Amino acid sequence: MDWTALGLSLRLGLVTVVLLLPLSFLLARWLAFGRFRGRGLVEALVALPLILPPTVVGFYLLVAFGRGSPVGAAFESLFGQPLVFSFEGLVLASLLVNLPFAVQPMQNALAAIPPNVRDAARCCGLSPLQAVRRVELPLALPGIATAAVLTFAHTLGEFGVVLMVGGSIPGETRTISIAIYDRVQAFDEPAAGSMALVLLVTAVIALGITNTLARRAAGRTGP
Amino acid sequence: MTAAGLAVRLRRAAPFALDVAFEAPAGSMTALFGPSGSGKTTVLRAIAGLQAMDEAQVSCGGEAWTDTAAGLTLPPHRRPVGFVFQDYALFPHLTVREQLALSMGHRPAAERAARIDALLELVRLQELGDRRPAGLSGGQQQRAALARALARDPQVLLLDEPFAAVDWALRESLRRELVRLQRALSLTVVLVTHDFEDVAKLASHLVVIERGAVTASGSVQALTGRNAVPGVGGWREPAIALDAVVDAHLHDRQLSVIAAGTLRLEVPAIAAPVGAPVRLQVAAREVILASQRPEGLSLHNVVEAEVVAVEPASHEALRLVHLSVGDIRLLSLVTVDAQRKLALAPGKPVLALIKAVAIEAFA
Amino acid sequence: MNRRRFVVGRVFASAVLLVAAASLAPQRAGAQQAQPVRSPAPLVAAASDLQFALDEIVARFERDTGIAPRVTYGSSGNFTRQIEQGAPFELFLSADEAYVDRLAERRLTRDRGTLYAVGRIVLFASHGSPLRPDAEMKHLAARLASGEAGRLAIANPEHAPYGRAAEQALRSLGLWNAVQPKLLLGESVAQAAQFASSGNADGGIFAYSLALAPALRDRGAFVLLPDSLHAPLRQRMVLLQGASPAAERLYDYLRSPAGRAILRQYGFVLPED
Repeated sequence: MDWTALGLSLRLGLVTVVLLLPLSFLLARWLAFGRFRGRGLVEALVALPLILPPTVVGFYLLVAFGRGSPVGAAFESLFGQPLVFSFEGLVLASLLVNLPFAVQPMQNALAAIPPNVRDAARCCGLSPLQAVRRVELPLALPGIATAAVLTFAHTLGEFGVVLMVGGSIPGETRTISIAIYDRVQAFDEPAAGSMALVLLVTAVIALGITNTLARRAAGRTGP
Repeated sequence: MTAAGLAVRLRRAAPFALDVAFEAPAGSMTALFGPSGSGKTTVLRAIAGLQAMDEAQVSCGGEAWTDTAAGLTLPPHRRPVGFVFQDYALFPHLTVREQLALSMGHRPAAERAARIDALLELVRLQELGDRRPAGLSGGQQQRAALARALARDPQVLLLDEPFAAVDWALRESLRRELVRLQRALSLTVVLVTHDFEDVAKLASHLVVIERGAVTASGSVQALTGRNAVPGVGGWREPAIALDAVVDAHLHDRQLSVIAAGTLRLEVPAIAAPVGAPVRLQVAAREVILASQRPEGLSLHNVVEAEVVAVEPASHEALRLVHLSVGDIRLLSLVTVDAQRKLALAPGKPVLALIKAVAIEAFA
Repeated sequence: MNRRRFVVGRVFASAVLLVAAASLAPQRAGAQQAQPVRSPAPLVAAASDLQFALDEIVARFERDTGIAPRVTYGSSGNFTRQIEQGAPFELFLSADEAYVDRLAERRLTRDRGTLYAVGRIVLFASHGSPLRPDAEMKHLAARLASGEAGRLAIANPEHAPYGRAAEQALRSLGLWNAVQPKLLLGESVAQAAQFASSGNADGGIFAYSLALAPALRDRGAFVLLPDSLHAPLRQRMVLLQGASPAAERLYDYLRSPAGRAILRQYGFVLPED
């Protein structure tokens, strides 16, 4: 049982959700309410990680952020270690790969808010920021919760991208999904089995909690 | 609170052309009337600051809200307007109290609770303050939306087809409520509607908008009196709408006397007290003309009037006769034959006979 | 009721944010600015054929020196690409010296490294399989000809040296074309061994060192394939730029009698032999 790997996966999931949710909310809002020319293109780009195979994505990310790239070189000169094959690199990859899982539920939830309700918020004396906080956010909460669950669960299970960009370095980028694979390769089935079980239970708990939260949030618009 | 008048001038080219200019006098209820798709709602939204225009000047009580020439556009949350949307647009996740509280950002927190109670009482929703919109009926939602708009202490109240989604019986009571509120709070109200009943019963002023342009504007009484409301004549019969007052009650005869200018009309007894304002509607087809006073009829109202004009009417065998009773205008629909028989021509004195039952009184 | 839920929600959110913030600070044991420093637990990239042999060596090494190397197993080709992209490995044990040469050309290594072993391949069939392994793969040939043959697992010749050797052996015996549609390609030689022993394939061709391991030895029968059938699997190891003293000690240990003994145990042919 590789507790380090489990801890790593949980940290990666948590960090990804915490960083991605606010960024995606802004993007989701822009897509839901903005009326601009390139909207279809942006939506397609956001959905890209859904269609591309993880290893392909991982490969492109490796090329885009490896030490040969401007971003990678800048990071390395700033922090003394390469961006790829590090936890930070995994976070970056995870943020990009989870974009559709975070943006789409939130975008749908926001778009479902009747436009008149948003106008009404402005006509009630709420500034745009207040309107987001007091009206949009509460009404979009089920979508936000879904985005959080999907992102977290997807990150826990992510394999191809993490392996490519992370390199399976024990203690740093060997997440639990890679550790399971590693144990299978080493013909250590008991260890692989127990870790897989822990991963499954964790995912189920995470899903259960957030689904309950989502249901409660939705229930608050009843009588 | 003193009411403030609204001056509006809007121009836009796309997606459909709009070019309107009108004024809503302080403390009046001005109806924006016209067929669906004529741009009325767009105008209302532009007044609220929800819609951008190519050129716009909107000012209230002399204070400019929008002036594209000067590059000024106040955002909606900085305009003292209350907006009641057609579908009410209540916040699904908040109780009625919370919705009102949200609108009271301009008031210190300590004052809000009392004010909320007062508003709930005003719209008669005291018992339902802790309900969410999903637990309210259509009429209750409408009153909640109204209360929310009023919670802002607005100078102008904007309503978009407020009675469209409501059944007839509820509509009448909601109309009364709106009139009552307007008088109590001396608000300037702009009301968008495609139902002329709203105009006839509620509005003091009328702006007719057809295909993005103003085709008539003025007081309801004057416009109806001249049968000068475009677009309506086609499907609605000519009728006058008058601002009147309850003059007296004749309890033993179960009649009430309504006065408008020098005109005195008897109608079946109505519930309003003496001195209360009343809206009268008289359809032109209900007005009989006579050259001499009749005897032995069930008729209550025999009015001395003078012919002002005779116009063609919807049918070639009919004529619309414009009459004046002092400052008040009446309309009468007669046959060509009758016109000849009575020799009706401008300047001729004539008696207008109006059945008490034919007078619609809205109080 | 609402008040309590509100407070709990706030506390939960703050805790989550704290954990996340703490996680994000680049933590590296002994990390410093502007100088790539390797940790006291040296990072080792090793070809998968060394899976069991190296585990044992590292366990012995740890007992003797107290240093705990962190080993990642995979295919040599993949490791080479990752090292070129900046993967922070300190010691690389390749299954093919050509990869080491390539890294040396790019000045990513200290020197040209050391030949530490020569590998051998086996033809393996799991116990339930109808395939009977023999040194000239005659039974396999017969099954291919009759159309009865099931899947045969080898490592991907594109980036795994043992896969390439398997391909060469099959070509030498004229079986490559016939076996093509039956091949199961593993991402590494360890995965090939996995496929081969899983019972879903007839068998496979993979590293001798893996077949000798306790985990695999009892799962099936195998035969050592003659080294004349393929180019020699010259396995080279090298210290990479920035390798720590701890990595150097492991490097030396692998060349010491103790290390070599274990390698020999796992069927590797050692250069001086």
